[in-house]
Amino acid sequence: MNFLDTLLEALSLVTQSGSILALAIGVVVGVVCGAIPGMSATMAVALTLPFTFALEPVVGILLLLGVYKGGIFGGSIPAILIKTPGTPASSATILDGYPMAEKGQAGKALGMALYASCTADIISNLALILFAGWLASFAMGFGPPEFFTLMVFSLMIIAGISGNQLMKGLVSAALGLLLATVGLDLVYGTDRFIMGNVNLMGGLNFIVVLIGLFALPEIITFAMSPSDKHGKVRQLGGTHVTFQEYKSCFRTIFRGGVIGAVLGSIPGIGAAPAAFLSYSEARRKSPNKDNFGKGEIEGVAASEAGNNGVCGSTLIPLLALGIPGDVVTAIIIGAFMVHGIQPGPLLFQDHGSLVYALFMGLILSSVFLLFFGSFAIRIFKYIADVPKSILLPAVLILCVFGSYAINNSMFDVMVMFALGWLGYFLMRLEMPAAPFLIAFILGPLLEDNFRQSMLMSNGSLDILFRGWITWGFWTLSAITLFCLIKSHWDTKKTSAAKKRVLETEPAS
Amino acid sequence: MILSSPKVMIKKTMIKTALILGISSVFTGPVLADYPQRPISLVIPFGTGGPTDISARALARTLSDKVPKPIVIVNQTGGGGAVGSVTVAHARGDGYKMLAARTGSQSVSLAMKSNMPYTLADFKFVGIYELNPVVCVTNSNSGITTMKQLIDLVNSKPKTVSFSSAGVGALQHLAGVMVLNAFGVENPLETAIHLPMNGGGAAATAVLNGTATFECANSSSVAGFIKNGQMTPLMVATKERVEGIDAPTVAELGHPELEKLVGWTGIAGPKSLSNESVDAWEKWLKVTTSDAGFVETMTKLGSQVVYMGPEESFDFIQSQYLDFRTIVEKLDMQIN
Repeated sequence: MNFLDTLLEALSLVTQSGSILALAIGVVVGVVCGAIPGMSATMAVALTLPFTFALEPVVGILLLLGVYKGGIFGGSIPAILIKTPGTPASSATILDGYPMAEKGQAGKALGMALYASCTADIISNLALILFAGWLASFAMGFGPPEFFTLMVFSLMIIAGISGNQLMKGLVSAALGLLLATVGLDLVYGTDRFIMGNVNLMGGLNFIVVLIGLFALPEIITFAMSPSDKHGKVRQLGGTHVTFQEYKSCFRTIFRGGVIGAVLGSIPGIGAAPAAFLSYSEARRKSPNKDNFGKGEIEGVAASEAGNNGVCGSTLIPLLALGIPGDVVTAIIIGAFMVHGIQPGPLLFQDHGSLVYALFMGLILSSVFLLFFGSFAIRIFKYIADVPKSILLPAVLILCVFGSYAINNSMFDVMVMFALGWLGYFLMRLEMPAAPFLIAFILGPLLEDNFRQSMLMSNGSLDILFRGWITWGFWTLSAITLFCLIKSHWDTKKTSAAKKRVLETEPAS
Repeated sequence: MILSSPKVMIKKTMIKTALILGISSVFTGPVLADYPQRPISLVIPFGTGGPTDISARALARTLSDKVPKPIVIVNQTGGGGAVGSVTVAHARGDGYKMLAARTGSQSVSLAMKSNMPYTLADFKFVGIYELNPVVCVTNSNSGITTMKQLIDLVNSKPKTVSFSSAGVGALQHLAGVMVLNAFGVENPLETAIHLPMNGGGAAATAVLNGTATFECANSSSVAGFIKNGQMTPLMVATKERVEGIDAPTVAELGHPELEKLVGWTGIAGPKSLSNESVDAWEKWLKVTTSDAGFVETMTKLGSQVVYMGPEESFDFIQSQYLDFRTIVEKLDMQIN
């Protein structure tokens, strides 16, 4: 069978009504599940899996992919509207999405999230189709030392996000690192800071921490001084994204999509770090640097492009090597195997038409996402118009439900409330919560990979400088550090100069 | 009528009661047994999408038309299965909270860790329905194709050979040590390097990208890589050859004691579990394990469907635990 025949067969597989229907249903289910806090994209995919056993391979896998993509976008809806990310991947979206909603631009933020998601999705799909082999071999070069250097580079994000309050940002990050140490020690298997509580053996759940840290402080603040005065400002939830705005963010979206596609192809990273990295890169390069974190549309575009950019390329290690890069692809591999199909190097030979059918389906899913996503926005954006006295109690219920649902544990609900108060005090002390969160996500990866590297090399630090990937990340880190110190110096100088001018002016 | 007389009132109440009873009897259907009267929660102590999760969900799905009440899957992760397991250990023995028990959480961890919040005696096992043989694999590019080559390498170049696992106290951890020890490596933890990764998928990836030299893992997690030629199987820890894996068995290699290395999934309740629930589950598991669709699904996922009754399961798990315990004590692998 020649290439054209394979393509034609693939086309007929995709265009059958079952495939199209499965994709459409998948995207809808994904968006809805992603939008419910506590129902992550992963859970939605896991719940869909049993239905695929009875379906044809192409139909079943397209259904799962639809759920996955929809879920990652859906998570941004509550992140923007109620400061509660529906999935961990959308935690970076909160940083600018919620301030935008506060300013009455919920519709705009949601629209940009959708367009950025779809654009990055297409970039990621193209990366999968065109560069699968190349990216897969790049990803295979990633051992613990490479991961460690990548994490060192990523932790520079903290400095970027803290902005001018570097000290406060670092304190917040240190707190995050501290809480991340709770649980089992990876190398020795011993308990760390569990204080005899079995529930702490698994460490603190990421989503629970996220909900507590971001959503609860808003509710506590409101409960302290209830008033609906914000309701008026927020009533402008109907604004749209203009083409001009999309165009001005396109560079950021493209960069985010590429970052997502590259990080997505490396097993074990996931969508949340990609979103944060894309966000910090966008902030570094943006002319509106100072507006980041205060409701900058480019920030929303960057983080959503980063997390959806991961979606297509996580399939690279799956299809090319048979390695599931994250939990979602681990579930999808199950769907392959139930039908007796083994992903890996031989897949392209043995099931060429299936692979090309998946590629076509993926492109189609971006279109479906655009369509159903804009429909979902039209419904959900009215949440922004609900007065706070009604909205916030409902959000509180969702927070409790969401924290409980992740692990079916009341303990998690208590953790959420405890972190809510912590978040509230951080807010009162004007300490940014984002560095806390980033340290909480990246800290354990940094530690684990460092210790794994040390195990590999019997304690020699040379291993952290093996190969060009580690050198590359060390260089990037050094450049970032240099730029940071320089810009810090410059702002200090200019503010000192301004001060001098102000002091001398009245005298003259 | 202005006021209803007491008699009429009583009559009305009786009719109401009868109606309510009638309706409720319609909803509950014909009463066959006292258990189950409400949905049963099946706690999976691992995350969604992992091997235990997929296996237990496939079981629950097959059971859906055999059990009169729904089986609700509840994922409670943390502590290598400890958090979910302890919830069930502390549950009431009425059979409405059951556990998808697994090698890692119910035998390896118990044998290796002194800090586990439960013991084997805290559970009553109603059956084992799935077995996963253990296979030792290396990267196909490593040039190592036999156990002998691997052992020679370990002995000639100490502290260079590494094996990956899903974490401390996971089956791969103990399996790696047990295999090396059985093949004559005196002190495996000193001469070889154990690399704990985050989960089984990461452990397999470590072998594929050359981070680790080998791993001994459940066949289901590596069968695909073997099929694709990315990994070379060195041995299978079974009595008979495993289909699709071209490697000698431990019996052929003269180490039948390693047959104890096998992954399994079963169903357990708290130790106070009522006999009625045990009987019901025994029956359900028997039917499910002979269900053609279920067997086909599980086989394709790389597992062997078996049926072991309550006593057989307990004996099996107990003896595996004791064997593991012996090796842990011998090699001083205890974790505090």
